[in-house]
Amino acid sequence: MDELKTLLRRAHSRRSFLAGVGTVSATAMLVGCGSSTKTPTTPAGITDADILNFALNLEYLEAEFYLRATTGQGLSSTDTGSAAGAVTGGSMVSFPTATSSQYAFEIAQDELNHVRFLRQALGSAAVSRPAIDLTNSFNGLAMAASIGSSFNPFADSNSFLVGAFVFEDVGVTAYHGAAGLLKDKNNIGAAAGIMAVEAYHAAEIRTLIYAGSVANPSAPYLDDANKVSALRGTLGGGNETKLSATSIVAADPTNAIAFDRTTDQVLHIVYAAGPGVATKGGFFPNGLNGTIKATKS
Amino acid sequence: MEIKKNNEQPTETQVLDQIISNRRSLIKLGGAALAGFAFAGIAKAQTAVTDTDILNFALNLEYLEAEYYTIATSGMTIDQMGIGITGTGTQGGVTVKNNSPASAQVPFATPAIQSYAQETATEERKHVSFLRNALGSSAVAQPAIDLLNSFNGLAAAAGIGSSFDPFSSEVNFLLGSYIFEDVGVTAYHGAAGLITTPANLDAAAGILAVEAYHAGLIRTVLFGLDAANPSLGINATATKISKARAALDGTNNDDIGLGVVTNSLGSASTIVNADANTIAFSRTTTQVLSIVYAGGPGKGGFFPAGLNGTIK
Repeated sequence: MDELKTLLRRAHSRRSFLAGVGTVSATAMLVGCGSSTKTPTTPAGITDADILNFALNLEYLEAEFYLRATTGQGLSSTDTGSAAGAVTGGSMVSFPTATSSQYAFEIAQDELNHVRFLRQALGSAAVSRPAIDLTNSFNGLAMAASIGSSFNPFADSNSFLVGAFVFEDVGVTAYHGAAGLLKDKNNIGAAAGIMAVEAYHAAEIRTLIYAGSVANPSAPYLDDANKVSALRGTLGGGNETKLSATSIVAADPTNAIAFDRTTDQVLHIVYAAGPGVATKGGFFPNGLNGTIKATKS
Repeated sequence: MEIKKNNEQPTETQVLDQIISNRRSLIKLGGAALAGFAFAGIAKAQTAVTDTDILNFALNLEYLEAEYYTIATSGMTIDQMGIGITGTGTQGGVTVKNNSPASAQVPFATPAIQSYAQETATEERKHVSFLRNALGSSAVAQPAIDLLNSFNGLAAAAGIGSSFDPFSSEVNFLLGSYIFEDVGVTAYHGAAGLITTPANLDAAAGILAVEAYHAGLIRTVLFGLDAANPSLGINATATKISKARAALDGTNNDDIGLGVVTNSLGSASTIVNADANTIAFSRTTTQVLSIVYAGGPGKGGFFPAGLNGTIK
């Protein structure tokens, strides 16, 4: 299997290199072009519980987004832990068709189930919901992505899809990266299974946004989604596929293998933080709960 | 949890010891996982499988998917597109209607659906090439693949009709795709637990995610078409396929069809194919073989001469 390892190593270093080109980041360039090419890794010594708690923070975010969009209510106190942070923003979306509403209600239930599953698996080690911002985060993201001075994903069903787009591909890359860090076979199996569900969601959202652009070519939503994708690439080490008719799937273009991200790269995206050490920001105004919460650089 | 993959069949006591010692982690995943684990431990204990065996098992499935999508979009087989199909085992051709791949090119009516199909075809060919490169001289040849009688047999078994031509229209093509993609997800998910080296696990997880993207794409398009054209009964047909798969793998409960359900929040679609915890299902290689062989003993269905490699 050495050949496979070589192939993967090559794919990884190529990706890092491309990321460097895209972002004009000196650090990423060094990572991509250096002789000992290695994607930055999550620090050693972390446990499966650390990783699952990292995932739980992201699931809290997704659940709050979808639950508020569908029901107007966030997670109940029984699902958030005793030291739960506050949630800012989020309101019921007016869905124009039964179908568009059914998609959203399905994902809301799925993400709620993921929160409950991870909390149950972690037991007393589960972190409480951190403070979550669904208002200023999207406004800041819209400015950084050059979408506009503000963006409300709860304004209508198309904006909701763009909001959902922000999360789902990131979920895939986060769980893909996590799968390689977990030690327990059961946890790997569960993480792989949740990653697959995030990929179902991501494909669904990407398909609906693309189909919407076919039905209404002058609407801005496909363009907005791709601006979000570009921003994620800038913040999170590349690993993005521009959405188009022939690229619903987000994957490495050489081998059609989905991207993965380190916890560091995921944190840069959800904190909306450029290069440097960051401990909070973006969707998590007080940072994540748990041991994995600060970017290394 | 670590079950030792010895060359020897573990005794039932050994398996029970394993289960007891892993009780805590199993409880986390619930009773269904416990039952599945016990079954896997006792019934499956075969000769140790290597990562090469697993990746070759996956390569057989990728040949099938790549041929299906490539013929549907291009009217050509993958070797005609320059993809290698040689290797160990017995190389076979593709059985398709009129003995003519060109005649099986789907008459797409919707440009977006044609694009989706072309994307999927390209990605499945890349999976074939990636696995062949990774396996090197160990790669299995493409086995004989049947894209004619297989669909007719499955249609009859699923109660869809006496025949089914997935190349006759774009809706039929999507339903044909539906047969494969969720199976790919469960197969790679099951394989993830068997693979031993981290690099292979990473690759398998990445391909798993792409199969799930494909499944999500196909299911979203089918669900949307059903909503726009209720009289076609698309969701009902897809659900029959799901039921047939669950019956073939012996569980009768690991495959969610397409439709509208009432969940704890309201009326919802069933785009995602997953269990009660919304974790994607997983299948053993034996269960996957039962589906792609359409229940045939050691061969049949899409693989009339069986798979190539050690897992067949």
